[in-house]
Amino acid sequence: MIVKSPQSQWLLSWEKVTFEWEVSWKLKEQPSPNPPTSNPTLFNYKPEGGSDHCGIKLIIGFRVSLLLSFWAATGCAIGLLVGEVLAEMSSRIIDLRSDTVTKPTATMRAAMEAAEVDDDVLAHDPTALRLETEMAKIMGKEAAVFVSSGTMGNLISVLVHCETRGSEVILGDNSHIHLCESGGISTIGAVHPRTVRNNPDGTMDIGLIEAAIRDPQRELIYPTTRLICLENTHGNCGGRCQSIEYTDKVGDLAKKHGLKLHIDGARIFNAATALKVPVDRLVWAADSVSVCLSKGIGAPVGSVIVGSKDFISKARRLRKTLGGGMRQVGILCAAALVAVQENVPKLEEDHRNAKALAAGLNRIKGLKVYVESVETNIIFMDLLEESQLTARELSEKLGQKGILLIAGSSTRIRLVVHHQVTTPDIQYAISCFKGALAGALENGF
Amino acid sequence: MVSQFVDLRSDTVTKPTESMRAAMAAAEVDDDVLVNDPTAFRLESEMARITGKEAALFVPSGTMGNLISVLVHCEIRGSEVILGDNSHIHIYENGGISTIGGVHPRTVRNNPDGTMDIGLVEAAIRDPRGELVYPTTKLICLENTQANCGGRCLSVDYTDKIGELAKKHGLKLHIDGARIFNAATALKVPVDRLVRAADSVSVCLSKGIGAPVGSVIVGSSDFISKARRLRKTLGGGMRQVGVLCAAALVAVQENISKLEEDHRNARALAEGLDRIKGLKVDVISVETNIIYVDFLEDANSTAEKTLTKLKEQGILLMLESSNRIRLVLHHQVSADDVRYTISCFKGALTGANGF
Repeated sequence: MIVKSPQSQWLLSWEKVTFEWEVSWKLKEQPSPNPPTSNPTLFNYKPEGGSDHCGIKLIIGFRVSLLLSFWAATGCAIGLLVGEVLAEMSSRIIDLRSDTVTKPTATMRAAMEAAEVDDDVLAHDPTALRLETEMAKIMGKEAAVFVSSGTMGNLISVLVHCETRGSEVILGDNSHIHLCESGGISTIGAVHPRTVRNNPDGTMDIGLIEAAIRDPQRELIYPTTRLICLENTHGNCGGRCQSIEYTDKVGDLAKKHGLKLHIDGARIFNAATALKVPVDRLVWAADSVSVCLSKGIGAPVGSVIVGSKDFISKARRLRKTLGGGMRQVGILCAAALVAVQENVPKLEEDHRNAKALAAGLNRIKGLKVYVESVETNIIFMDLLEESQLTARELSEKLGQKGILLIAGSSTRIRLVVHHQVTTPDIQYAISCFKGALAGALENGF
Repeated sequence: MVSQFVDLRSDTVTKPTESMRAAMAAAEVDDDVLVNDPTAFRLESEMARITGKEAALFVPSGTMGNLISVLVHCEIRGSEVILGDNSHIHIYENGGISTIGGVHPRTVRNNPDGTMDIGLVEAAIRDPRGELVYPTTKLICLENTQANCGGRCLSVDYTDKIGELAKKHGLKLHIDGARIFNAATALKVPVDRLVRAADSVSVCLSKGIGAPVGSVIVGSSDFISKARRLRKTLGGGMRQVGVLCAAALVAVQENISKLEEDHRNARALAEGLDRIKGLKVDVISVETNIIYVDFLEDANSTAEKTLTKLKEQGILLMLESSNRIRLVLHHQVSADDVRYTISCFKGALTGANGF
């Protein structure tokens, strides 16, 4: 006699709901003298004792097997629906730590699965070639090369421009290259940095840049300035944009002194969107730009460096030297191509959401946000004394509600908006902040 | 007319299979820089377990795997590393350990079988009493299998001996294990036993193992912690990298067991080519999946011309020099492809028509 013992398990993932049925069949040699008096249900089955049996487990997919009774399936479906709703409510995550957290969408995943690939080191991966060609076109430069990260994009760019030993680069004292890239241009590339103060709006005074350029007449004791780096948008200054006019002026200065200009354009599309200018015009003055695709553009991995053919040829070689020469990399490039097509137009909404979030938070007692400075998708928020909370404490409270942030210091928090944070998410986040600061978090809302 | 396409340029050309593609599309991911991508974590845990080391780190390439390993072991300025004069690190990695890492190389002659004489390795270790004029030896690097020597395997016994030598002098031992699984397969030893003496190993997953991208460095927790940091500095910190790691996990599960067949195919190919007038293959040296073919003086064609002819037949090879060609087998080259390749070579060298 066959007795079945169904158990159900259901799993939730962000993209889909699946469940597996584990059905255990017991086969007995002798028919049971006492057949069960009631139908086994999902939850009250008790296995009968028996010495000779073998268990066969079958996994059944989403479509309910004909062998399962209708009432079991209906009961499970209802339970599943309720469970899903409950799980969604308690596990809603709003990840404002960075725009690097963006996960690949269904179209990106499909593109990765179907990507045409080849060995990008021996030959040229065709999908990488397509991405690089497209990015060069969009940015108005001769050529492009895909790299594994923005850090590598900047490292390669600085090192190629500064290939002669004894080089110096001028960059902002609050720039990502100087503060958040492990000092790699020096420790790895042997390039000396000369910092100039970043203004709150992300610029550096042009007069101060010019003053920082080394006088060649004193070369016996000076390194040789070869490069100026800008950052647009400027991350540590709160995602501030540098205008075409400013960029062109710095470009003119560079040319006047025989220097190159590199733009750390990790979020260059955010800048172009906020300034309402074509991105190629924005970076026209630059000899090279490093553009992140894994941030607001939403690709899973990578950046692209753009520049002249000669520059990119050297960049490709240095990329290999650093260990960034990947083989069938078209997989990542396929996702990046989709990302560029789908997500550049969404940046404007990210900026609107960021402004709404900033305005909403600024109205909360105990918080201060410089709303006028929120030009793109980054918000810096200060905790005032009256809040009676440290940034860390606030982060922890909000973490319990599924809101993820980065505490920049004891009183400062950074929030970054991206396309996987919706307008309702923004409203929810504001109400959670309100609650946390009003001390009402314990009571829920 | 091309009836068949056989890519023997390298085992790096392996394309992702359907199961790998499906795994990539479904991969569970997260930001591997801010936290730890869960699929990367799974791969790294699995690779540490397989190789018998404490921890592991996924990197975009073998070059980065070796670069990071050398630079972490040689983190003090003024360091020197002993390695083979015919090693991949020394010849084919753009001299990065020096130009990027500031580490000085001290080469020791590679024997045809890929080893370096242990006496010569010991003699190359700098005497600390000469430190005023010497750099400080910190590291010995082996390569297993040794590619430029034709995919030759270094035995457990030899590796252990080098390990002992390193310990005796307070040095570390790194193995460029790009094809370590090929070595373990050919030697019929467990891979963790093979690398036991090593402080670190760089293992390629994008070669014979067939993953689309990447390598894994394995070593102690402390070493890997430093490696992770240097990986970020070099720009190898990728975000939702689980996409690539998912394919790598499938590759490790599916393709290690296929390496033995690659080796059989390589031997069959080597024997078939050696029988062709004008060609010479040192068949006994073909231990794994790499074959070097020499063009003798009485050959009817040159290496370069043969390459071109074979390309027209759909066969891709690597030209090593004016009279040497390299062929590398992998799981996407079948026994039938091997027979086809032999017949095309015959045709190209005997001047026979019609292929």
